[in-house]
Amino acid sequence: MSSVEFRKDLFADERDDNLNEIGKPTIRQDIIGHVTGRSKFYDDHLFDGLLHMRCVRSPHHHANIRHVDTSAAERMPGIRRIIRPSDVPHNINTLLALINFGRDDEQLLSAGRVTYKGEPILAVVADTERQARDAVAAVRVEYEELPHVLDVEEALKPGAPTVNAEYPNNSFDYHDLYDHQKLRFGDTQAALAQADHIVEGTYQMSPIEQAPVETCGAIAAPEQNGRYVCHTSTQALFFSIGVTAKLLDMPSSQLHFIGGTVGGGFGGKVDSHHEPLAVLGAMLTGRPVKYMWDRTEEFRVGAPRGAERWRIRDGVMNDGRIVAREFTGFFDSGAYTRLSSYAIIKGTGHLPGPYTIPNVSSNVYCVYTNRTPATAMRGFGITGVDFAIECHMDKVAETVGMNPIELRILNAYRDGDMKAHRRVAKNCALIECCQVAAQKAGITLSPEAMAASSKEGGGIGWRAEVPETAIDDMGRIGDRRNREIPPEPYGGATQRGSVPAGTRGEAVVAAEVQDPDMQIDPTRVGHAVSQAVGQPAPPTPAPQSGAPIPAPVPAPAPAPTASAPPPIPAPSAAPPPQQPAPSAFAEPGAPAQPQQPYKPEKPFQRGVKRPGVSRFISGTRRR
Amino acid sequence: MSITVETYPTLREAASAMRDGTRFLGGGTMVVRGLNFGAQTYDRVVRSTDAALRDIRSDGTGLHIGAGVTMAQIMQTASTDFLAPVARAVGGPAVRNMATVGGNLFARAPYGDFGTALLALDATVQMADGQSLAIETFYAHRAGSRGLVAAVTVPRPASGAFRFAKITRTRPKGASLLCIAAHLPGGTRISGARLAFGAMGPTPLRAKEAEAALDGAALDPAGIQRALDTCLNGLDPQDDALASAWYRRAVAPVHLRRLLLGEET
Ligand SMILES: Cc1cc2nc3c(=O)[nH]c(=O)nc-3n(C[C@H](O)[C@H](O)[C@H](O)COP(=O)(O)OP(=O)(O)OC[C@H]3O[C@@H](n4cnc5c(N)ncnc54)[C@H](O)[C@@H]3O)c2cc1C
Repeated sequence: MSSVEFRKDLFADERDDNLNEIGKPTIRQDIIGHVTGRSKFYDDHLFDGLLHMRCVRSPHHHANIRHVDTSAAERMPGIRRIIRPSDVPHNINTLLALINFGRDDEQLLSAGRVTYKGEPILAVVADTERQARDAVAAVRVEYEELPHVLDVEEALKPGAPTVNAEYPNNSFDYHDLYDHQKLRFGDTQAALAQADHIVEGTYQMSPIEQAPVETCGAIAAPEQNGRYVCHTSTQALFFSIGVTAKLLDMPSSQLHFIGGTVGGGFGGKVDSHHEPLAVLGAMLTGRPVKYMWDRTEEFRVGAPRGAERWRIRDGVMNDGRIVAREFTGFFDSGAYTRLSSYAIIKGTGHLPGPYTIPNVSSNVYCVYTNRTPATAMRGFGITGVDFAIECHMDKVAETVGMNPIELRILNAYRDGDMKAHRRVAKNCALIECCQVAAQKAGITLSPEAMAASSKEGGGIGWRAEVPETAIDDMGRIGDRRNREIPPEPYGGATQRGSVPAGTRGEAVVAAEVQDPDMQIDPTRVGHAVSQAVGQPAPPTPAPQSGAPIPAPVPAPAPAPTASAPPPIPAPSAAPPPQQPAPSAFAEPGAPAQPQQPYKPEKPFQRGVKRPGVSRFISGTRRR
Repeated sequence: MSITVETYPTLREAASAMRDGTRFLGGGTMVVRGLNFGAQTYDRVVRSTDAALRDIRSDGTGLHIGAGVTMAQIMQTASTDFLAPVARAVGGPAVRNMATVGGNLFARAPYGDFGTALLALDATVQMADGQSLAIETFYAHRAGSRGLVAAVTVPRPASGAFRFAKITRTRPKGASLLCIAAHLPGGTRISGARLAFGAMGPTPLRAKEAEAALDGAALDPAGIQRALDTCLNGLDPQDDALASAWYRRAVAPVHLRRLLLGEET
């Protein structure tokens, strides 16, 4: 039985209802195994002579490591190996190195300095978990505590302690230019000046732990021919292989990773911290090694959805039309980048929410603080700002005395509208969702709101156009170290430039992979590569003049900013109005210029085609 | 570190086997959890199969509850019905099946809901060496104590005179932001009130000024006002992952008011 109600009456003409899976309830492929208790998770693979790994962790938010004394721990029974930062062949990485986004900033085991509570500095491998725990407790570390910063806005102030050595300004460097991700669409300042109401709000989200039932971990064991098998809880198997290959400086062809059954992930199992450590442990001891977080570690050092702080300022007309929306966002990345930098790119593409607003600007900061590094969690980059936006919509509705659902319908995206990140909205459905939700909740909407449709009234006039856009070049990398600059869009700017209407900026089409071993062979990519990759987006579709029924709700009149101030010359280093995110998949060039076929640096060795079974496997817990 | 477990037929023998690096095992919900997480402060566990530990019986003035009685047992026993809502507030069913009354007396904040109720009921703690301690004295010296608890004796409250509220973020299994146990004898004019707060200090604590303020008072908004104004005196809440001390102080009088007025908490 399904509690899902399929509203097949909506958008019937946009859909093929004769598909086998899409649009139909379906049974999860793995559900039989799960409900009968037979699904094998990584920890169900049993190995003879399995060793256990635990980490020595920083008890401080921020400290220099003065001295590490492992002599007592080394003498304890069952201790096989104490792994130090110097044992990690290439001890620096950033998770998104694999798509060449950002700079390496995080060590697998940290030497010299710790920047968050729980940061691992050593790994102990022992015969039993208890022995490993006891040895961890016996390691003596002398720390020199340093001042720390735990608040995003404090961290951006001049004089705040530097958290991440690679980003000394405590903010991720966007596009080698700014300490934040900019979005500029139209002229929010001019529109705010002419709005009937200014509605402001600040919204703060806490970090959220993904809280999987199966804690993160991996078991690695030597296979034949110098290969290592690794059973892992990862949600991102190829990320984990790539990260392991890089940190351990070995070809990925020597890594036989087995994943698949994840005991709850929700984004918390992409960070690929366990696999390299478990494989390194297996390399250094020649034995199978398990590295598994306990529940406390899962909560304390497992990367959560990061905290976000958003400030929103809306310009609203008496009739409820939102004519300008400004965002100032701070993502608390914790001590390292992981995925927060990219979450911001995603989030910026989502602004100003599912609403057509003619003037939008935003500054979003990926801030380093001495807190647990943050990572992905369901809808990362979007969920936090959506919470802020929807709270704010209610505040706007209250200000203008409107039913909040009708306010949403009035401002909702419609097919053909130009979004702030300069893509045309299509397959919009917010209006219909609002109508159905109101009906289900027993809320009566006005006849106009009930008659509104996502398919009508969009893409007409100003709604379809990229407006002339006011720009500024405030917040260059490092500026905030020297003086306080208001973080808001255009904050502190004395001079503004402008980009003519219709300008879309350049699309970034492909990022080079960092490790040649990870080069994608175009012939092996499972989808066709469009000839149009790298070409400007197609022109905006013509307004739907042939719509059979005239739109019942007249499209809002053009925003006051239609009379934009005369453009001043753009500063020489004017930012492009839009810099799309690098795609998560490195798209290869158009097939017209074929790339070299994949070739590993060293030839494959025997056993690659027919992976040898690890000599240590002794069975599984579930059959 | 290898772990040793020793079992003794009587509690008295178990008591004489206690020394440094040793924990007595009640239901083990905390002791075994500690071992699983590699506790470094103990590697020796002492337990007792003494049947008296699981006794519940009535004597003249009240109830005798063995230290090994579990929360589940409290809920199933007719004579401990007034304590059933408190026992039900402890953890989930798996925890309640194991968690003992004795162990609850040693649980650190935010745990110790059952002990908070015992404090409001003026229970007496019977130690294995034959000593009896007023529960308040027991709590005052708990930190340094190595003695084993044999049982508690609890005077039975008049019907309706005992109230308990546990404030949590998640239901049904959350740990206390705070809990309040109130013994309010006297019917329309309260006399000899007891108010105990859990998770508002290192051990459950009584709000004695508020107790005095309730003397002769009626349980209406005017009658309880002075108790609300003074209920924080003597409490010592701490910050933890569930709530800050500031928050606990801010909401404690609100929840006390609801409990005293019989409103939903
Ligand atoms: C998931 C979970 C949820 C929980 N929720 C709650 C909750 O909601 N409310 C709450 O109050 N508690 C809660 N607890 C804490 C704990 O389960 C209870 O406090 C329980 O009553 C402890 O009793 P135990 O018998 O399990 O103690 P044990 O773990 O056996 O012992 C705890 C301590 O008491 C000592 N001890 C035990 N018996 C005696 C004795 N007879 N004499 C002297 N010392 C003794 C032990 O040596 C040890 O130091 C929770 C625990 C868990 C794991």
